[in-house]
Amino acid sequence: MRLPDSVTGSFLVVLGAAAAYGGWLLPPVPGQPVGPNVFPLVIGIGLALCGLAIVFGIGHSFEEQEELIPIEDGQVAAAPPPQGKLYGLRALLPPALLLFYVVAADRLGFIITAAIMVYVTSTTLGAKWKLALPLAALSPFAIHLIFGKLLRVPLPAGLLPTPW
Amino acid sequence: MLKTLVEAFALISTWEVIIAMFAASVYGLVIGSLPGLSATMATALLVPVTFYLSPIAAIATIVAASSMAIFSGDIPGALLRIPGTPASAAYADEAYAMTRKGQAELALGAGVWFSAVGGIAGVLSLMILAPPLAEIALSFSTFEYFWLALLGLMCATLVARSSPVKAIAGMFLGLLVSCIGIENPGGVPRFTFGITDLFGGIEPIPALVGVFAVAQVMRAMLTPEPPPLPRRKFGSIMAGQWKLTKQYHWQMTRGNIVGIIIGVLPGAGADMAAWVSYAMSKRFSKEPEKFGTGHVEGLVEAGASNNASIASGWVPSLLFGIPGDTIAAIAIGVLYMKGLNPGPTLFTEKASSMYAIYLMFIIANILMIPLGIAMIRVAAYILLAPRSTVMPIIMLCCAVGSFAIGNNMFGVVTVAAFGVIGYVMEANGYPVAAMVLGIVMGTMVEQAFVTSLIKSDGSILPFFERPVSAILAAMAIGALLWPVMVWVWRKVKPVQTAAATIR
Repeated sequence: MRLPDSVTGSFLVVLGAAAAYGGWLLPPVPGQPVGPNVFPLVIGIGLALCGLAIVFGIGHSFEEQEELIPIEDGQVAAAPPPQGKLYGLRALLPPALLLFYVVAADRLGFIITAAIMVYVTSTTLGAKWKLALPLAALSPFAIHLIFGKLLRVPLPAGLLPTPW
Repeated sequence: MLKTLVEAFALISTWEVIIAMFAASVYGLVIGSLPGLSATMATALLVPVTFYLSPIAAIATIVAASSMAIFSGDIPGALLRIPGTPASAAYADEAYAMTRKGQAELALGAGVWFSAVGGIAGVLSLMILAPPLAEIALSFSTFEYFWLALLGLMCATLVARSSPVKAIAGMFLGLLVSCIGIENPGGVPRFTFGITDLFGGIEPIPALVGVFAVAQVMRAMLTPEPPPLPRRKFGSIMAGQWKLTKQYHWQMTRGNIVGIIIGVLPGAGADMAAWVSYAMSKRFSKEPEKFGTGHVEGLVEAGASNNASIASGWVPSLLFGIPGDTIAAIAIGVLYMKGLNPGPTLFTEKASSMYAIYLMFIIANILMIPLGIAMIRVAAYILLAPRSTVMPIIMLCCAVGSFAIGNNMFGVVTVAAFGVIGYVMEANGYPVAAMVLGIVMGTMVEQAFVTSLIKSDGSILPFFERPVSAILAAMAIGALLWPVMVWVWRKVKPVQTAAATIR
C-alpha cells in the first residue's frame, strides 16, 4: 500500500481545504468573536499546507529507510510470500471481518460470529484446519467467559446461547 | 503525609487490586514477548477490562501491564533478534550478539535487572517532580495550557523517526478527528454528516485499538511468520548483575536520567528513550569498538532508560492531561473515566490515590524481577504459539473490547476504520503516534485556544504577554522551526567542506 507522496499529499490538500470550508460554514456563537468555526479552519489550512509541502517533497530527506535485518547463519530464510494480484488485498481482511461482526453478531449471536472470524483469520495466516477448527470452537467460549460472564458485557446470544 | 501513605496502602491492599495487578503483569509479559505486539497495544486492549474494575485496580492493571511489556520485549530481541516491542529495537542486535557468544543469561538478566532499577528511578522522579510542578501549574491560565499542549504535540512530531512534515500532517489529522461531534464551543454538530453515532465524537480508545492492534493484524497478513525459538537451557539469570551494577553504575544513572527527561517530554516515550540512551552509551563509552559485538554496556544504559520513561511519562499526564507517550495517552482516558481527572489539584484533593499510584509502580517493578525470570524460562514455550493462533484472538478482543466501551456496535466500526487509517498511514511514512496524540489532546487544545481568543477579544498578542506563556510559546515555535534549521545546516555544511578542500 505504498503510495507516491504526491498522491497522499494531494489527498491531504483536498481534505484540509474541505475541513477549512466546512468549518467556515458553521454558525458562530452569537455575540462572540470566535466559535466552533475557528479551530477546523486553522487545522484545515495547516493540513492543506502540509499536504502541499509533501507534494513538493519537502522533508523527504528526513525519512529513514526501513532497516532490513540481514539473515544470519543459523536462521533459515523464510520462503518469499506468493505475490499474486490479490495478495495485497489480504490486508483488508481484518477490517472486513470486524464489519462482518457488526452486521452479523446480532442475528447469529456472538459465539457463531466469533468462531467464523477466528477460523478465517487463522487459516489466512496459514493454519491447517486441524489447528484452526479447535481454535475456532474453543476461543469464542473463552472470550465469552471473560467478557460476557466476568465483566458483564452484554454480548448478543443469537442462535446459540452459551450454557451459562 | 504519613496518614495519606497509610490510606494509600489501604487502597492497594485489597484482593481486587492484588489479583488485577498480578494478572495484568502476566498478561503484559506475554503480549510484550510476542513479536509485533507492542506495549501500547497490550495497554489499549486492556482498557475495556478496566471499565469493570475499581479506579485503583484499573490503574494498577495499566501500570503493571505497561512496565512488564516494555521489559518483556527484550526477550525475543535477545533470543531471535526480533524486538518484541519497538522500545527494544534499539539494542536487539546487541543482545542477540551476546546470545550468540553464549551470554544469553547475562543479556536477559541485564534486561530484567536494569529495567526494574530504571522503573523505580522513574517512579522516584514522578514523586519528586510532580508536586512542585503542580504548585506552578496552579497559576496556569488557558494561554499557558494552549502553548503547553502545542509544545507537546510539536515534541511528538519532532521525535518521530520520519519526515517532520508528515508527522505534523499526522498531528493535524488527529486534531481534525477530534473536531467531530457536538462537544465544541458552539455545541453545534460539527462534521457529523447527519450520522447520529458521530454526534458523540470519536472516542480515543477505539481509535487507539484500531491504529495499534487491527493495523498490526493487517500487517501480519502480508509479512512472513517469524522463525521459531530454538529451545535452550538457561543458567542462573541474576548471576553477575550486581557486578554489572557496580561496574556500570554511571551508565545506569545516565540511562535513568535520560529516560526520565524523555518520558517527561510530552509525546516522546520508551522507544525514543532507548534509541537515545543506546547512542549516548556508545558515544561516551571507553570501548566504543566493542558495541555491536555483544557488549553489555549499551544494554545496561538503554534498558535502564526505557523503563524509567514509562513512569516519568505520567508526570505531564497527571499534571496537565498531556500524555507523555502513547501508553500515558491511554492511561489519561482511564483516569477520566474513573473520575481522577488529571490536573494540578489531583495532588491535593486525591493525594492518597496519587500515593497509591507511586506504590503500585514500585511494586510492579519489584514484581518484575521474579516474574521476569520465570518468563524468560518459559519464553521458549510461549513463543512456540504460531501467529495463526495469536492474531485471531487479538481480533476477537478488538471486536468485543471496542463494543464494551460504549455497548454499541459503532465502536467496532470505529476500530475497523482506524485499523485501515493506521495501516495506510504507517505504510506511507506518516507516524501514527502523532495522530493518536492529536485525537487525545484535540478537545483540550481547542478549548484552551478558543477560550483564550474569547478572553483576548480575538487578539493574538495576549498569547505572548504573560511570562510563562511567552517562554512556552518560544519553545513550541522553536520545536516547529527545528527541522528547518537542521535542513538548512545540512545544506550549508557540504558547501563549507567543499570550499575547504578547494582551498
